[in-house]
Amino acid sequence: MWVSWRWLSQWVDTQGVDPQAFAQRFTCTVAEIDSVVRWGFGLDAVVVADVIAVQPHPNADKLRLATVDLGDRQLTVVCGAPDLRVGMRVPFVPVGITLPSGIVVKDGHVRGVPSPGMLASEADLGLSDHHDGLLSLDGVTAAAGTSLPQAFELQDVLYEVDNKSITHRPDLWGQYGMAREVAAMLGVPLRPLDTEVVLGHGAPLQVQVQAPAACFRYVCARISEIAVAPSPVALRLRLRRLGVRPINNVVDATNLVMLETGNPLHAFDARHLDGRLIAVRYAQAGETMVTLDGQARTLTPDDVVITDGHQPVALAGIMGGQNSEIAADTRELVLEAAAFDAATIRKTAMRLGMRSESSARFEKALDPHLPTTAARRFVQVLQAVCPTAVVTSDLTSTGPHCVDPPAGHTLATTTGYLRTRLGLTPAEMSDSWMVQCLRRLAFAVECSADGALTVGVPTFRATKDVRIAEDIVEELGRHYGYGRIASAAPLIASRPPFTSPSRLAERVVRQALVLQEGLTEDVLYAFDHEGQRTRLGLHEHGAPRLGVRNEISTEHCRLRRNLAPNLVATAEQNLQHGDGKEAPREGFAVQIFELGQVVVPAPSRAAASANELAHLDPGVPPLALDPQRQLERDGWFALMDADMVAAVQATVVADRPLPWQPLRLGVVCAERLGGGAEGSKRVVPDRSVSQRVFAQAVSALNSAVRALGKAALHIVPADDPSSKGGQPQEAGLVQTSSWTPDWHTSWRHPRRSARLVAADGATVGVVSLVHPDVRNRLQVAAELAIAELDLQAIMALPDRPLVGLAPAKLAANALDVTGQLRPGVRQDQALNAVRVAVQAANLPVETVDYLYEAALPGDKVVPPGNQTGLPAAATRAVTFRLLCRAGDRSLIAADLAKIQQVAFEALAPFGPPPAAPAGPA
Amino acid sequence: MNLAPWQVELDAARDLWADRVALCSNLAELRSVQVDALGKNGAVTALVRRIGEVANADKRAYGQASAALKLVCETAIADKQTALELAEVAAELADDTFDVTLPPAAVLAQKPRAPGQSGGQSGGQSGGQSGGQQLGHLHPLCRVQTDVEAVFTSMGFAVLDYPEVESEFNNFESLNIPGWHPARDMQDTFWLDNGLLLRTHTSSGQVRAMHTFAPPFRAIFAGKVFRYEATDASHEHTFHQLEGLLIDRVVSVGHLLDSMRTLLSAILRRDVQVRLRPGYFPFVEPGFELDLQCQLCAGAGCSACKQSGWLELLPCGLVHPQVLRAGGLDPAQWQGWAFGLGLSRLAMMRYGIGDVRHLLSGDARFLAQF
Repeated sequence: MWVSWRWLSQWVDTQGVDPQAFAQRFTCTVAEIDSVVRWGFGLDAVVVADVIAVQPHPNADKLRLATVDLGDRQLTVVCGAPDLRVGMRVPFVPVGITLPSGIVVKDGHVRGVPSPGMLASEADLGLSDHHDGLLSLDGVTAAAGTSLPQAFELQDVLYEVDNKSITHRPDLWGQYGMAREVAAMLGVPLRPLDTEVVLGHGAPLQVQVQAPAACFRYVCARISEIAVAPSPVALRLRLRRLGVRPINNVVDATNLVMLETGNPLHAFDARHLDGRLIAVRYAQAGETMVTLDGQARTLTPDDVVITDGHQPVALAGIMGGQNSEIAADTRELVLEAAAFDAATIRKTAMRLGMRSESSARFEKALDPHLPTTAARRFVQVLQAVCPTAVVTSDLTSTGPHCVDPPAGHTLATTTGYLRTRLGLTPAEMSDSWMVQCLRRLAFAVECSADGALTVGVPTFRATKDVRIAEDIVEELGRHYGYGRIASAAPLIASRPPFTSPSRLAERVVRQALVLQEGLTEDVLYAFDHEGQRTRLGLHEHGAPRLGVRNEISTEHCRLRRNLAPNLVATAEQNLQHGDGKEAPREGFAVQIFELGQVVVPAPSRAAASANELAHLDPGVPPLALDPQRQLERDGWFALMDADMVAAVQATVVADRPLPWQPLRLGVVCAERLGGGAEGSKRVVPDRSVSQRVFAQAVSALNSAVRALGKAALHIVPADDPSSKGGQPQEAGLVQTSSWTPDWHTSWRHPRRSARLVAADGATVGVVSLVHPDVRNRLQVAAELAIAELDLQAIMALPDRPLVGLAPAKLAANALDVTGQLRPGVRQDQALNAVRVAVQAANLPVETVDYLYEAALPGDKVVPPGNQTGLPAAATRAVTFRLLCRAGDRSLIAADLAKIQQVAFEALAPFGPPPAAPAGPA
Repeated sequence: MNLAPWQVELDAARDLWADRVALCSNLAELRSVQVDALGKNGAVTALVRRIGEVANADKRAYGQASAALKLVCETAIADKQTALELAEVAAELADDTFDVTLPPAAVLAQKPRAPGQSGGQSGGQSGGQSGGQQLGHLHPLCRVQTDVEAVFTSMGFAVLDYPEVESEFNNFESLNIPGWHPARDMQDTFWLDNGLLLRTHTSSGQVRAMHTFAPPFRAIFAGKVFRYEATDASHEHTFHQLEGLLIDRVVSVGHLLDSMRTLLSAILRRDVQVRLRPGYFPFVEPGFELDLQCQLCAGAGCSACKQSGWLELLPCGLVHPQVLRAGGLDPAQWQGWAFGLGLSRLAMMRYGIGDVRHLLSGDARFLAQF
């Protein structure tokens, strides 16, 4: 929305105000000014010229020679404008001038003909971007040779107000409303809008408002003796610089009044109105009309149309119909000035995709008093640009508020309250200042000696803007100047602040993973990336994800249910591009994690009734208010308060269940592999690499759990016979875990997977190597371990008990025992057997730990004929360390020998079967 | 009928290569067979090329037969490759040498290559960290968020956390934004299949907080927010915000100004000057845009602040009575202020990040700087 300084100055004395400083002050008091444009300056040397002769150019078809009278001399210049004609008045730019548009006028030849100057278009003069033809000065009365700024209205400062900052202010969508604010801001009087006109006494127009909920007031008048012609240059340029295209004097007058008052107007050609009745009604379903822009529009019963009793002639509040457009030969018109319902106009405009200057204003809920004012101003403006025009009917006013629109409501408050909310004292803001400020803003104010204040809200502020005392706080605060308010510390009791456990957990985990484990933190989208999921074959089998109805791209159309897919894709990208240091090669590791919410659509969601969903359709307001009934009961301004009612009533749906959104830690540890044969990406990783990335992922999860102060989790293999297949209903999986529904994911290697299980048996995390099918789809040869931890579940676990026992007096003896484990045996099985055995024998062993295994690193024993890259199904030699200590005595060799023997016996069943020959078959 | 010698030769070649393909037991062998047969110097390739030496009368037949041989070889190799790949994956899935229960510390303590065991691989091993020799990287957004939360915690603010998938009520209605309100135009929303939405601002937590805590209280809540908007260097459909809310008996514009100045000075680690100007947000009344005095020109006006001396930083205001009501608080008893801080924008300001898209890119080259 543009504001014209010159226009404002018609009603407000702006003498001595600097237009630039004004912009800053206006921004802090009223609304944000995005830009300030000086318009029509630098044209003092340009003069009015009369075209007295036009001749063809000897050397060019499209150019002509114009002889112009400049008052004191005549010159012939070359001109390319198609509308050049004898008798025209045009701007003449003499040689040596640089125009605001950047054009430099030189004394030169154009196609061999001298041209000492030029005739200018609006664009040439920097007045607009309109360059089809010369700026016509017809009608300008100044003598030829008069400087342009002296001949008509030029030189203005234009302010571009951010539209978003005035969406709640219907009164600021006209220059006069802006002037009111400016007058209050500068503390000067506001001149009234001149609306004195002579109306006719002919038969009034018959108007029926059949949609009173959508049309509060319909004002119209018949005006005859119209002579349609171009508007004078000053009016045309006023429209142009506020962004409206001039058409003819009638249409220009409607637009000028719209810009001035903020109330859109429409003029119908009276010839084309069939019958004497104008009706405002809802459209019929499927009814069509052709609007002024030539588009055929199909309407619905939610749209409101103006009809001439037979057919639609305008789409109410948005655009006129082509069938009643003002034409060059229009002699008689019907003027419409109306107040339409904001929501109705907005819905229709949005549905049809036709946001016009008119609909933009009606959407703001305009003052129902305004149509009469606007209609009267129209008559004045029209008679100025078309002196023959006479009003041949009285103003007809129809609708629920046709005669006596309701006065604005009254607010009762106290000056003390208003000051308190601003943080001001009576010495800083006196009662009398408050009264004066509000009166300048056209509020009707009564203030008693004890500070009781009644504020009558003017109708142009009452439709939706000013409703409660807090709104008055804003009026006073902004005009007083927020910058003058001293800051004050709030008087709130000091208590240790609560911090969300999940936020604390995030911080602790983040520190542990970054500083101890060396991982890099990622923050990724809450959406899955469908293209990458498909390419890499990442799926949660049978576990639904929540979809987006209006996705921004087909890639981002579902909410992630697991962190893994985005992390895998990110790891792949990092493995390819590296970390910006050197080109990644074999052994390059990527270790990343993310802390974030995932969305598990709870099973109960499916049960949500269709009724409930329909009720919550975004297109449907949450509360179906019957506007008509409301209108009858409370009057119009109560209807404007409907949103308050709606907000309270909408609490009915406040308890709709949200889907499960657990906070997860996702980890991916990956390492680049050497290329396969001929650079193939398909490489089976060496076992040591697989164990390493897996260990990194487990280590990260352990660090997180430990940092959170919880006891270490148990690693339960996915293929453990006690929980075969990891079926949720089977042992070890507790239903409260967010893993339960989606253990079966395509990216999990079925055998190289484990669950992290808490002491109570709940699965709180999963860790696995990537499935070979997914790994083989990566664009880089790499091994990946993927892990996720449910942080909320971890936090719910009891803290690891910390007990300070006295240090043992005697040193422990470490006893290393090595046993052979045949293929398929896990170290923990052997370890547990040792533990149980020494315990059963009541031996002084404190702990049993895995130490190392001999053939672990690079144990790529490849038998001939097997080049899959897999190690042979070899027997491993695993060493365990037993810490032995008796509380009261030193252990002797015999003790250790006994322990060793028991341990060996415990390990024996895990070794290779005695009969089987060693080595490959 | 006797076959021509070349025909015998082609038949023999077909049998030979079919056998050799069939005998392949792994992909590497198959690849070498492929090179031997169909490579530039492969045996089958050579047979195909020998058409020049064939008598003119036989050229046509030889051409057809040699092409058929080539096709047979290609098909056999492709089939075999598929079979071997399947077998490879099946073998991998069946392999039981992997031990998920190995203690990570023990695995990571092992140097990747034991001495004396070459293992046929080359190159150093850079990534296998163990025991924290190498530090990781904190995400810039989380760095900023942690800092800001620390400042607020030190000033007695509760730190809360709310869901990203929200109800229409919490995101709109409770904030005095009913369905037909034009303010919803400003908030282009992602709607979900189940009628819920992705929160468009962290303000969706305001009423949640009011229902959770007994007044007076003060709280912040940060997180991802979502707008249906095309992505470019300064716009993302997903970005991070931090909401601040204070509820007390008497809350004035003066209190808001004081809190904002103090908090922003602590967050930006310098003494800041702020100004309020009118701004329209349905959930605050009065509502403000808070501007920060431009640091570069100290308010004199420069290109960074478009000559105004001020930078628009955050929207704020006094909590609208309607929002208090929705939160179960009596506006006659309780008042409040609220603000919304763009964490993504703060991170970009603090670290000189020129393109918002870097933040969620997951690009290690970007993140390794932090």
